[in-house]
Amino acid sequence: MPQDWSLPAVTPVSSAWFTSATLALQHCAACGVRQHPPEEICHSCGGMDFDYRAVAPTGTVYSYTVAHYAVNRALADHVPYAVVLVSLDDAPEVRVIGNIVGIDPAEVHIGMAVRALWERHEVDGDVVELPLWEPA
Amino acid sequence: MHGSAVVAGVGESAYYKRGGSPHSEFQLACIAIRNAVADAGLTMADVDGFASYMDRNEPVRLSAALGTGDLNFTGQTFGGGGNGAGAAVTLADMAISAGYAECVVVFRALAQGQFHRYGQAGRARRARGRSAYTSPYGMLSAAQTCAMQTMRYMHEHGVSQDSLAEIVLACYEHAQRNPRAVRYGTPLTRDEYHASRMIAEPFHLYDCCPENDGAAAIVVTTRERARDLARPAVSIVAAAHGLERRDGVAAFNEVNFPTAHHRHVGRQLWARAGAGPADVQVAQFYENFTGPVLMAIAEMGFCEPAELDEFVANGNIVGPGGRLPINTSGGNLGEGYIHGFGCVVEAVRQVRGDSTCQVPGVELSLSVSGPGYAPGSAVLFGKG
Repeated sequence: MPQDWSLPAVTPVSSAWFTSATLALQHCAACGVRQHPPEEICHSCGGMDFDYRAVAPTGTVYSYTVAHYAVNRALADHVPYAVVLVSLDDAPEVRVIGNIVGIDPAEVHIGMAVRALWERHEVDGDVVELPLWEPA
Repeated sequence: MHGSAVVAGVGESAYYKRGGSPHSEFQLACIAIRNAVADAGLTMADVDGFASYMDRNEPVRLSAALGTGDLNFTGQTFGGGGNGAGAAVTLADMAISAGYAECVVVFRALAQGQFHRYGQAGRARRARGRSAYTSPYGMLSAAQTCAMQTMRYMHEHGVSQDSLAEIVLACYEHAQRNPRAVRYGTPLTRDEYHASRMIAEPFHLYDCCPENDGAAAIVVTTRERARDLARPAVSIVAAAHGLERRDGVAAFNEVNFPTAHHRHVGRQLWARAGAGPADVQVAQFYENFTGPVLMAIAEMGFCEPAELDEFVANGNIVGPGGRLPINTSGGNLGEGYIHGFGCVVEAVRQVRGDSTCQVPGVELSLSVSGPGYAPGSAVLFGKG
């Protein structure tokens, strides 16, 4: 994305996902269920305490779209760009969104193997490690 | 009790391309509501309630401006889009059936030329909540969200790009019969569809709803009150809105992804109606984008996902003579995008017999709202 594009706010719930430079999935401390995206309450037992455990940074493209139309003026010089939805190898029920880099958007397809990488940003005193994808 | 509420009148403002309305959005709301009340043969003083979804034009202001009776009910639904259209009708049905009000206007006014454009997105410096997982990647618009769902759905079920085109072409063909339609006099060919520019793959320009200005309304009242009015009463046979548990999970992690959020709605609706898809003669499927329409056709039970290509091909969804004509006014794509409330109005007209693409022998007429967003909603209208 272009310089000065939106970055995620870092909150107690999202901090592990957006600052650890790992695929740190949220697990309920009470019942052990994992859920993504991380939430304020366990959807299984109602628990409110969590830990975060990293899984392997690899997966398969489950769906994608290529944006050709810039929905914001700041993206006018950035289209077309691809957004992939990745099913994780270690947690297939978890689907993770991200831009894919290192490939022509026209070559992206469902079923392709991908690997996560992280783009480091410093904003408002926060460090944000934004997960992206590249062909594996 | 349920079954005591009926639709007594319908009305619209003129529909315009975005920015084309000579009236403010509030004025458009007033015009549509006046027209619906007049169509019913009622006066504004008879109106004692309002229901809508995501609307800026508050009943407090409308009541004073229009000179309604004392208000006994106002309500608006939760949810993020046009999926509230059917749910808003449900609110009116409930208010009438439970006796809280006697004459509720359900309406939606939307002038994208005066307020936020749905095809554009702002840039938040820090994305919060659910958008934290999407906005940083340029995943900002409804077109992109529905594209992600549709791409997977087409892959899983072998749905062709031509089936997306069939939805568009049916809408445009129906719009040529409807002088109210923004696309009246502007036919579209299959070649023009395929040649149009991409917006978000697999959606071409014509797969996407336009940005329009206008308002639409219906009047819901008791069966007794409707007996001596101007128009034949149209029954609210059944209505449903809701979602399956954990289908509200964010960032494409719904358990049933990809879903239009209408399987649960369909099951509820048909059970309440004591009828099924085979009993319906005509249907309006809210088109935000063509992909969710296909998904909703299958989820409402009209065919299996793998049968969609055949279901929508060969003029099967084109009125008045197709197997299941859909979006007979031109729909959101052809008539106008009033956040889908035109679909509700057209479903009522099909029962009354005054559609510009009237399907013969309509007993049950379906309106499905806002597929792709939760909670989904749908209303089944019928004779008397």
